[in-house]
Amino acid sequence: MRHPGWMTAATAATAASRATAGAAIEVRGLTKAFAVGRRHARRRIEAVRAISFTIDSGERVAYIGPNGAGKSTSIKILTGILHPTGGEANVLGVVPWQDRRRLAARIGTLFGQRSLLWFELTPRQSYRMLAAIYGLDARQERTRVAELADLLEAGELFDVPVRNLSLGQRMRCELGAVMLHQPEVLFLDEPTIGLDLLAKQRFRELLVRLNGERGTTIFLTSHDVADIEHVAERAIVINHGSVIYDDAVATMRRRLMATKLVEVGLAEPSERVAMAGVAVLEHSPTRMKLVVDTATTPIRDVVDALLDDHDVADISVVDPPLEQVIAEIYGLPQR
Amino acid sequence: MSLTTAPPGSTAPSPTAPAGSAAPASRRWIYVVLHTAGRRVLAEPGGLLVSLVFYGLVVAVLAGLWSAAAEANGGTVAGYTAIALTWYVAVSEAATVSLNIRMIDDIGRDIGGGAVAVELLRPASVLGVRMVSELGRALPRLAGCLAAGTLLATATAGGPPRPAALALTVPSLVLALMCNIAAQHAFAASAFWLRDAGTAWFLYQKLVFVLGGMLIPLEVLPGWLGRAAALLPFRAMAYAPARLASGHMEPVLLLEQLGWLAALVVGAGLVFRAGQRRLQVVGG
Repeated sequence: MRHPGWMTAATAATAASRATAGAAIEVRGLTKAFAVGRRHARRRIEAVRAISFTIDSGERVAYIGPNGAGKSTSIKILTGILHPTGGEANVLGVVPWQDRRRLAARIGTLFGQRSLLWFELTPRQSYRMLAAIYGLDARQERTRVAELADLLEAGELFDVPVRNLSLGQRMRCELGAVMLHQPEVLFLDEPTIGLDLLAKQRFRELLVRLNGERGTTIFLTSHDVADIEHVAERAIVINHGSVIYDDAVATMRRRLMATKLVEVGLAEPSERVAMAGVAVLEHSPTRMKLVVDTATTPIRDVVDALLDDHDVADISVVDPPLEQVIAEIYGLPQR
Repeated sequence: MSLTTAPPGSTAPSPTAPAGSAAPASRRWIYVVLHTAGRRVLAEPGGLLVSLVFYGLVVAVLAGLWSAAAEANGGTVAGYTAIALTWYVAVSEAATVSLNIRMIDDIGRDIGGGAVAVELLRPASVLGVRMVSELGRALPRLAGCLAAGTLLATATAGGPPRPAALALTVPSLVLALMCNIAAQHAFAASAFWLRDAGTAWFLYQKLVFVLGGMLIPLEVLPGWLGRAAALLPFRAMAYAPARLASGHMEPVLLLEQLGWLAALVVGAGLVFRAGQRRLQVVGG
């Protein structure tokens, strides 16, 4: 069944319970409009339109949407870099744009395309500057840097000038920079952009580990579906500035996609399937690949018909890839 | 946890914000940033050497020109002897060559390109960290230029005209650097509105060259221009320490520099704050 709205009843109930217990981020009706164009042809563009959500402490949330959807603008507002045009928000009890520096001491923010490190310095020297800026004393700094060397398995990189590090190595050290002051919330804006597959995988594992060991709340934006699948427990989808979906990643496919992929191995050649709601993608003497619209025909009926009418050697029913799910969500009507 | 309504643009602290975990009040960062920035320069001796060679060449050429001018003018120019002029240019050049020559342009690029947004994520003043970092980078270069300048001036013209006045030159040079850094940040903040500080950089350099007394002692300037230079802060950036080094025992110059430093830091702070506010409201 195609989901009719942006949030299921179950998710709404979960969100309501989060609002009362240990919320790390609360957003209500947050809006940001920009004026663009010259004086006589000035237009108002709403980058973020009345978004609302609550994120509990220790949650790992993917905040996703197509380019220009308002993801980075939202992060900039929640970290205090941008002032909203309207609405309310607090992060760890602080209104970000009213008390940016106080909030900065408790959160960490990493923009994949911006470096927190000084290129001429080594990560260790950068950490020294950052530790002092974040108010750590020399002993705390040494302890934290040693912990980060273990956690990131990057101690040998800490004494190499940043400009000589590969992108993957640098991103590990960037994560060190953002974790140095032990933030309670991590905002990560496309942190794996440009990384190779291995580096991405390592980075994702690190985030999950940080969340597990320290309870750090993770708020992640990414265009990489694997980041969402491997890091996030929950996905908030934003498009044209509005939240259009908010639910657990694990249920995303089930709740949103009305289609299933059915692959059938045939012991003997058989006739082409002709059922309402079933499209044949591939048909050969030994194999069939079908797309089933479960809103029209339940998957059980399709499987029963296949087993009754064909000499089936093997059958599998799978959800469509997450890319397809997300593309489907982007196409949902706005609330 | 209750939400606090956010009047757009308000910067007042949140009344509902919990206590604790405030931004650090410690000033340890000033020492650490100063020290790390200085080490960064010393870690690249090649760059330092190029600065010193450039400095030596400029001082040699200018000292030669001014000495020839003094000789042609009966031994002095506007009261400065050839020796005094050599010490003057050695110190005026040290005050300016020690700084990142493209500072305004670099800051402008960081503002226009959005890198400053990352600095807003730290619990410290963006302007403060930047200014301290620039001072940290300038101090080792200043030490090198002072050593090279002393050797060069002594070898080519003779010892300092008045050693006691020379003792005031060192603190005056540090104040000159600080005034210059603050003023450059104020000029560079134009990039918050213009997206680029290239024009400001071009203009600023010329102002320091002439009205700051970097190339020419201010007494040489024609009447109206000299009067204008006397009223502007640029004289605190090169003329003041150079005047002391050239044998003029005028401690009031240090007080004047302190006054300008306070004014320039406040001015840079106001312009940067307005620029940051624009960035936060309008976006970058």
